[in-house]
Amino acid sequence: MNLNRNIYIGTSLLVLLAALFIAQGLLDRTPAAQGGTAVMAPRFEVDPFWPRPLPNHWYIGMSIGVAADAQDHIWIVHRPDTVSANEAALDQKTGECCSKAPPVLEFDQAGNLIGHWGGPGQGYEWPESNHGITIDYKGNVWIGGNGTNDAQVLKFTQDGKFLAQFGHAGKNGGSNDTENFGRVAKIFVDPKANEAYISDGYLNKRVVVIDADSGKFKRYWGAYGNKPDDKSLGRYDPDAPPAQQFRNPVHCAELSNDGLLYVCDRVNDRIQVFTPAGKFVKEQWVAKRSLSDGSVWDIAFSKDPQQKFIYLADGRNEKVYIIQRETLEVLTSFGDGGRQPGQFYGVHSIATDSKGNIYTTETYEGRRLQKFVYKGLAPVTKEDQGTPWPAAGSK
Amino acid sequence: MTNINGKRKLYVSVIVITLFILAGIGGISCAQTRAAVQVPKFEVDPFWPKPLPNHWVLGSVTGVAVDSQDHIWIVHRGADSLGNNEKGGILKPPTGCCVPAPPVLEFDQAGNLIGHWGGPGAGYDWPQSTGGITADHKGNVWIAGAGQPEPTAGPARGTASPAKPQDAQVLKFSSTGQFILQIGHAGKAEGNDSKTGLNRPASVTVDGYANEVYVADTGNRRVVVFDADTGAYKRHWGAYGEKPDDSALAAYDASATPAKQFRAASCAVVAIDGSVYVCDRSNNRIQVFKKDGKFVKEAAISRGTLGDGAVWSIALSHEPAQRMIYVADGQDKKILVLRRDTLETVASFGDGGRMPGQFYGVGSIAVDKKGNVYTGETYEGKRVQKFVYKGASR
Repeated sequence: MNLNRNIYIGTSLLVLLAALFIAQGLLDRTPAAQGGTAVMAPRFEVDPFWPRPLPNHWYIGMSIGVAADAQDHIWIVHRPDTVSANEAALDQKTGECCSKAPPVLEFDQAGNLIGHWGGPGQGYEWPESNHGITIDYKGNVWIGGNGTNDAQVLKFTQDGKFLAQFGHAGKNGGSNDTENFGRVAKIFVDPKANEAYISDGYLNKRVVVIDADSGKFKRYWGAYGNKPDDKSLGRYDPDAPPAQQFRNPVHCAELSNDGLLYVCDRVNDRIQVFTPAGKFVKEQWVAKRSLSDGSVWDIAFSKDPQQKFIYLADGRNEKVYIIQRETLEVLTSFGDGGRQPGQFYGVHSIATDSKGNIYTTETYEGRRLQKFVYKGLAPVTKEDQGTPWPAAGSK
Repeated sequence: MTNINGKRKLYVSVIVITLFILAGIGGISCAQTRAAVQVPKFEVDPFWPKPLPNHWVLGSVTGVAVDSQDHIWIVHRGADSLGNNEKGGILKPPTGCCVPAPPVLEFDQAGNLIGHWGGPGAGYDWPQSTGGITADHKGNVWIAGAGQPEPTAGPARGTASPAKPQDAQVLKFSSTGQFILQIGHAGKAEGNDSKTGLNRPASVTVDGYANEVYVADTGNRRVVVFDADTGAYKRHWGAYGEKPDDSALAAYDASATPAKQFRAASCAVVAIDGSVYVCDRSNNRIQVFKKDGKFVKEAAISRGTLGDGAVWSIALSHEPAQRMIYVADGQDKKILVLRRDTLETVASFGDGGRMPGQFYGVGSIAVDKKGNVYTGETYEGKRVQKFVYKGASR
């Protein structure tokens, strides 16, 4: 029972500390609230019944990309090969459930599965390990790959017809190669310039910009706009001077409407901001003491024309931060670790639809697509909102 | 809108049964059949239980039980079953979320966590890998030590504890976690004639009428019964009520003669009329006995299922007659609904997946006084889920 007593003592201390912390937080915020300038941020509630169950006893693996298209259809890419034998028992003929779903899945707003395709085919090299999905302004679907030999990005129609491949599997030539990539995490396509921004990647340490039609390399750069250097940076140390290069993986590169590129430097726990030409603008750490696989996994912009907010998926701390884009200040966050709706295990990718709803996918053993319904702006009352259940569900 | 596939199956089953009645096949009178085919309906409650405090997360859940106050108890495998990337809060230095919850958790009907305890202590052998949990008629809590951890497909366990002795014990605690009794000893597995020892028991239940504890002694291919107060041995038996033995069993084959031994006795549950239902997990069958071990009958369940097998755990429906048996089929990732009198499968719900109402490794099941069903998922399921009883209908 000593152990129990210790746990109770420990818990009591934690509760006290938490109470002090909250009290401090309230004190900090009170003046602002009194002055009528309460901080406002978008509020979300999880929809536990979206999407609808898949047909055919289909089962998804690590889900490492999500995107919304112009019709507000939601697309994901996952890794069927990560579904274990006892999950894929129908494929293995050892049981009635289940069967690996195709890698690319398309859902409508109601959560119905309305399209599915993907996998190896003629004329292109399907990735060893799928990673990232984007629907460009022409309606085409881009996919990266972070497998050992993946050095290519792929472009398909929404029906899964192959359109183009840039780079070739096994041909990685490092972070200054101008024909191949190094285990690409994600792609963003800029409609104004018809340029694709490649988060490159799990092996290379750079952002690459290519022509979205021809694939021709236009420019690339590393952290702070430096020339990328593949020298090992060793382990991330939050107390050391900031690394002058990106750490692997460079996990997102998203261009805002006003022409700023936000790059996820995942394991360095930071966002770096650039002009489209690659000139460094500023940076911000988020959960800077996060170790291991880092805190800055993927971002999406809020749907107001000014894109006032950035939503940041943190698969290390299992939450989504709501960040003021102008200041890069974290306003609040939602989510927590766990397998219930609104909780996460390896929240990896994030996207928003035209209504402002958020969609997330989880890798590792999380393996879900979740929807968080936009509920308008609300005053920020908690730094950490925890699991975002509807009021009726959490009462 | 919940659980579309499960419901669809349920409706299909209901339609089939209705047709059966209309056709009057089988010479069963309409009145009898109508009474017997009332199929319970369920809907998942995605918001039960409430989120745990302190960034606590569950490991593989190996047992779920309901006590006399309708509190729901679970036992899970905690840190040993969690990857480093989901227990960052206990690593040195900490890397991020989360913290393994204590192994035994008690929830009230609203889903609030109202108690937590468990883990190694003086005077008993906490299991290296927990099995089932049960709350007895006196308010005490029993836990089985199930031996080696289940194989899992998850990420490397990293900080998994060093090897511990194989489990061969069941433990009894008060509802607040005070140690009361241990039967068997870790690291001292005894054979299938033993009156004092066990061998990787998967689960334990208590017959309140006789104050006896039934242990599904998996490694010994037997059910063994002890006095619930003293732990004194009373009796044991193997499949068909015969003497259990350790002779090699050929791999399970649906078309072969049924095995003469339990392949994986994983539950032993006593019904109100004194029938004892034994899960023979990877033989895909339930065997029924009298309390003295006399064999009554058996039923094959999901006969074609291989792998881990279909019959992981059972619970009896809540009404006084206990007309239904709910079977947690972890291999097929669903709950089967059986008539207790005929052992026919009349419906099922659930499917594989990570969404509410779906399962991965659903291995434990319990029912409360209102008829609600609770399930525990092992492997990477790592959840307790609630299915709200919506009445029975044809």
